[in-house]
Amino acid sequence: MEFLIEQLGNWRYYLIGAYPNGPLTGLSMNIILAVLSIVIGLFFGILFGLGRTSCRRYLRYPCGLYVDVIRSTPLLLLLFWFYFFLPVVGARIPLFWCAIISLSVYASAYQAEIVRAGILAVPFGQMEAALSTGMTRYQAVKLVILPQAFKKMLPSFVSFFNSLYKSTSIVYIVGIVDMTRTGVIISQRQPNRIYAAYICMAIGFWISCYLLSIASQMLEKKLGILDYESYKPEICRQDLVLLPIPKPIKRLLITQK
Amino acid sequence: MKILNLRYDFDWSIPFREPFAGWLITGVKLTFLIAIVTTALSLIAGTILAIMRTSRFKFLNLPARMYVETVRNIPGLFWLLFFYFVFPQMLPFGLTETLNQYTYYSVVAGILGLTIDNSAYVSDIVRTGILSVPRGHIEAAVSTGLNRFQQIRYIILPMAFRTVLPPLGTRMIHNFKNSSLCMAIAAPELTWATQQVESITFRGLEVTLLATGFYIGLSLTLAVLMIRLERWLNIDVTSITQMRT
Repeated sequence: MEFLIEQLGNWRYYLIGAYPNGPLTGLSMNIILAVLSIVIGLFFGILFGLGRTSCRRYLRYPCGLYVDVIRSTPLLLLLFWFYFFLPVVGARIPLFWCAIISLSVYASAYQAEIVRAGILAVPFGQMEAALSTGMTRYQAVKLVILPQAFKKMLPSFVSFFNSLYKSTSIVYIVGIVDMTRTGVIISQRQPNRIYAAYICMAIGFWISCYLLSIASQMLEKKLGILDYESYKPEICRQDLVLLPIPKPIKRLLITQK
Repeated sequence: MKILNLRYDFDWSIPFREPFAGWLITGVKLTFLIAIVTTALSLIAGTILAIMRTSRFKFLNLPARMYVETVRNIPGLFWLLFFYFVFPQMLPFGLTETLNQYTYYSVVAGILGLTIDNSAYVSDIVRTGILSVPRGHIEAAVSTGLNRFQQIRYIILPMAFRTVLPPLGTRMIHNFKNSSLCMAIAAPELTWATQQVESITFRGLEVTLLATGFYIGLSLTLAVLMIRLERWLNIDVTSITQMRT
């Protein structure tokens, strides 16, 4: 227990490492990786998403193939591809950018699916109306379709960002010092503090992800999308408990409305 | 023909040479084992958690919610590392020794970690399915005299599972891909085997290409099978309704 308090007092090391005097590590590395890769991935995601909804086959099929292939490859193998294959082609890039590239490729495929779903959710009449007012196709997509689609896509983007943020912890395997690596380093350097290091790691991830999920719930409420947490389902009134409990005890346990 | 300036000549005999071939085959087997066992376990655990979360009892509702909230906000890799490095330390002394000597403990830890991670997501998906069952069906079940267990077993769960089949299938494919994370704790599955070949021969591209092909092929096959299943179920539903009317 005293170890845990000691490690919690060491929070700066978990968050930024020895930053001003050394490399930036810890939780901020995860955040940087996630933010950079989601921004780069968003750009390519919109391109591939528009390509997937295109009526031109020579655009639709390659984009569909890209999205399907990347989505069905584990992120770890993508990381290894960019880690081992890029030097073979002749590109010498730092480890950090390898991670950024693989995460952005991964993110772009998933975001292309989100963008596609958003575009398909916009009614078809909107496009026809935009075209009939004399807009070009490019203008129609830019000014009419995408702004409406983005409003529908925003909650999915936030939840995907949450999952991507958690996925960034796998860069631990290729040796980038992120939150996971920080915790493992501390637990290896001081084996008697192994619980404390792991609990601190978990707390760091938990708090940041929980804040993100609260933010996404607020966003969904603001946009007027039904969220299941606040929605009082009808089935809750029907108790689904398997245990046979006598009724007087049950009355004590059940919260009455 | 030189499109790419490749500084690498492919040697396709490597994946078929011993002992690498043996490692790869063991890797494929273990990947299947981990994926199937975690899928089955997390389906069971997730369903139980979902039923607990929809219950009105605080003492069932609250622990399940806490579990899901805890697990969903922590990366899956953390649970793998936790079960591999920390969990044996938490046990009484004799058990720690036994587990450390057990060769395949990494596989067990991988299965445990992935199950913990996946069951939270499965429970969320199944819960939405349970919530989507219309109230009238449950009332009808009550009025025909089914008890609670029968209501869940025969009325609620079949309808819930039919509704949530598409997201559940996506989650299972995701879980299959996540089994590659077990490499971090040295469980000898496919990704680990490719890395082992890479680190011994410095010729990792052939095996990595094979492994990627394996993952892509199997994921796409699973996706197509899920779509077929959904279509088949839909046809089934419509035919039933047509028969009734």
